[in-house]
Amino acid sequence: MAVIENNVGAYPVSPHANRGGLKAGQNRIGLLLLLPAAIAFAAVILYPFLSALGLSLFEYTVEMMEPRFIGFENFYKIASDPDVWAAFWTTAIYVALTTAGTLVAGLGWALIMNQPFAGRAVLRSMSLLPWVLPSTVSAFIWGWIFNSRYGVLNAFLMELGVIDYPQAWLSTPEGAMLAVVLTKVWLSIPLFMSFFLAGLQNLDKEQIDAARVDGAGNWAVLRDHILPHLRPVLMIVVVLGVIGNLQQFDTIYALTGGGPVRATTVLSVEVYRRAFEQWDIGFASAVGVLWVAALLPPAFLYLRMLVKGN
Amino acid sequence: MNTFTRLIGTAAVALTLGSGAATAADLSFMSFTYAEEANKAVVQGVLDNFQKAEKLTVEPLGFAWGDMQKNIFLRARSKTLPDIAQLSERWLPTFASLDNLVDLNAVYGKDKLEAAFAPDALAMGNINGKQFALPLLSGSIGMVANKEVLAKAGISDAPKTVDDFKKALVAVREKVPNSVPYSMATKNNGSILIDFMVWNWVHGGRIIDDAGKVVIDSKQSRDALGFMVSLLKDRLAAPEIDRPDSRRLLAQGASAFYLDAPQTRTFLRDFSGKGQAFDANVLPMPTPVLKAGDKSVSVQWGHLLVQFANGGKAKAEDPADKFLTYIVSDKVQTDLPLKMSALPVTKSARAAVADDAYLKNWSTATGDARRNEVGIWSNAADLTNIIGEEVQGALLGQKSPDDAIKSMQARLTTSMEKAKKSE
Repeated sequence: MAVIENNVGAYPVSPHANRGGLKAGQNRIGLLLLLPAAIAFAAVILYPFLSALGLSLFEYTVEMMEPRFIGFENFYKIASDPDVWAAFWTTAIYVALTTAGTLVAGLGWALIMNQPFAGRAVLRSMSLLPWVLPSTVSAFIWGWIFNSRYGVLNAFLMELGVIDYPQAWLSTPEGAMLAVVLTKVWLSIPLFMSFFLAGLQNLDKEQIDAARVDGAGNWAVLRDHILPHLRPVLMIVVVLGVIGNLQQFDTIYALTGGGPVRATTVLSVEVYRRAFEQWDIGFASAVGVLWVAALLPPAFLYLRMLVKGN
Repeated sequence: MNTFTRLIGTAAVALTLGSGAATAADLSFMSFTYAEEANKAVVQGVLDNFQKAEKLTVEPLGFAWGDMQKNIFLRARSKTLPDIAQLSERWLPTFASLDNLVDLNAVYGKDKLEAAFAPDALAMGNINGKQFALPLLSGSIGMVANKEVLAKAGISDAPKTVDDFKKALVAVREKVPNSVPYSMATKNNGSILIDFMVWNWVHGGRIIDDAGKVVIDSKQSRDALGFMVSLLKDRLAAPEIDRPDSRRLLAQGASAFYLDAPQTRTFLRDFSGKGQAFDANVLPMPTPVLKAGDKSVSVQWGHLLVQFANGGKAKAEDPADKFLTYIVSDKVQTDLPLKMSALPVTKSARAAVADDAYLKNWSTATGDARRNEVGIWSNAADLTNIIGEEVQGALLGQKSPDDAIKSMQARLTTSMEKAKKSE
């Protein structure tokens, strides 16, 4: 050992060598590789976000050529604006229903796709279809399903004799909310299913077999073995689902435009309406800031899970 | 040359060519008619002829009607406004405060414009004495019927009063299965506004008076909204109908009546798939009145052209102004409006097309159109949303007509506190 150490010490060191050595060089390459993503992030996300943050403190309507600083007045206006609070409430309902619905449907579908049967591979591939389709295309497909005059749903129910006249599903607050929730659940099932399927494939089959030998039924196996095993996946999926559903805009806007009246006006649609229908950029930015604030807790949870290695 | 150098070289050439292409046109023209399948070829023809006549190139920017205001607003904020843009007449007050908007009186001279244009058409582009827009085509929004559907329902004459109208709707509902007798706008705030405004006028109501006071909370307005709600309850109208849906329903023989501008004929030709053969079914008719002897109502309608230039300064020799001059010339005005089934805007062109039977019938049927009482205010977009939401709330049974009118009064009053009027 001593011989080796002596030999190492005898190697000449280049005068051009960097002080940090190999590790510092790797770090620099790492930073260099990060640079394009960082520039894109700064240009597409950080700069617009900081601009919106700044504009939330200004009055900036279509009649004004330059914004006027008004401090926190937009936030005071929000506090007394029932429409914005209604949008918060609608968002909460939408996120809760969509996340819960996707969780149940995604898990159920993953359990089916985890069973051995003929054609499973084909069905698994087909299950990814909603994920592949652009979300606005999916929204229009669902729009046609629910359409009051030409919709498949009305035709089916009238054929069965359940209804006498076509129903305007998208014209009732409940029907419109159900439609946007169903559309988002349908879109999200592939992603959730993939997570659950990956978790299920790590499940010890012998443990399940042993439970069945001990007399456990399907429900007991799910409750006492599968769900505890999937707990880390469940947590990630719930947090990601909440974040994704809080951000949702395109399917809702394409399907209902936030209506009827304001029944499906979630925060994203509210920001859009304030900015591009009422031309009040300052107020829209303030609502946007609160929307980001609503996104922070689940985002923080998700990042903490990632850092902790869950 | 290694691959990297070749790539850089190719990118540089592409960039040069790209920027060359982007700056090649002498002027840019943003238009919603250009984005309409039924009318794109007509506009392209005008652009091609202008290019031949003036040796100036135009970059057409087509955006859907519903996206135009948004695009102009965003382009104003990012300082990338086009040279010329097409607007609906009711949008002009919203954009009147943009400092790049050119007062065309200063370019062409007020007297010359007044001598050339029909007064009703020119007035649509005038805001507080400044000519911020030239009219492109004009007309009114009135009632249109499908003669074939009326015949199926056994209706020989267009209904004249509201009571007759309701009887006719019932007949259509009974005799034409799966139809929407009256394709009233029940979706899209901008479309709902027009239907509500018309029925409100028919019932003798106003939304905002000439002084800017909101006067919607009246018996007449309650009756008007109650009438619209009753149509939906009796399945004489249907939910989820916007103006494009109405056009398709009428063109396909699944609706008897709806409100639209004269250009409906062009849309109906296209949507029916029958072309000009469908013209025989199109019946412009006076909007039914509350009681015999009342004056029928219709809403003033038109398309405008605005010019944007640095500091709002322009000269008649500028390419954009040459384009404006060309598009309102007799050569274009005796052709383009007719192809779009609308009235020309200059006195000479109107005289030249005075014998067009369809436009003559339309004008006779709709009479003197009234100015859109919401579109003249700078906060028209907000007013439209409020009215649309409240009317839709009542139509869909979420609130009573009384509550909707009361809520409308309160919300409109708040919105009007900062409004500016265009006269």
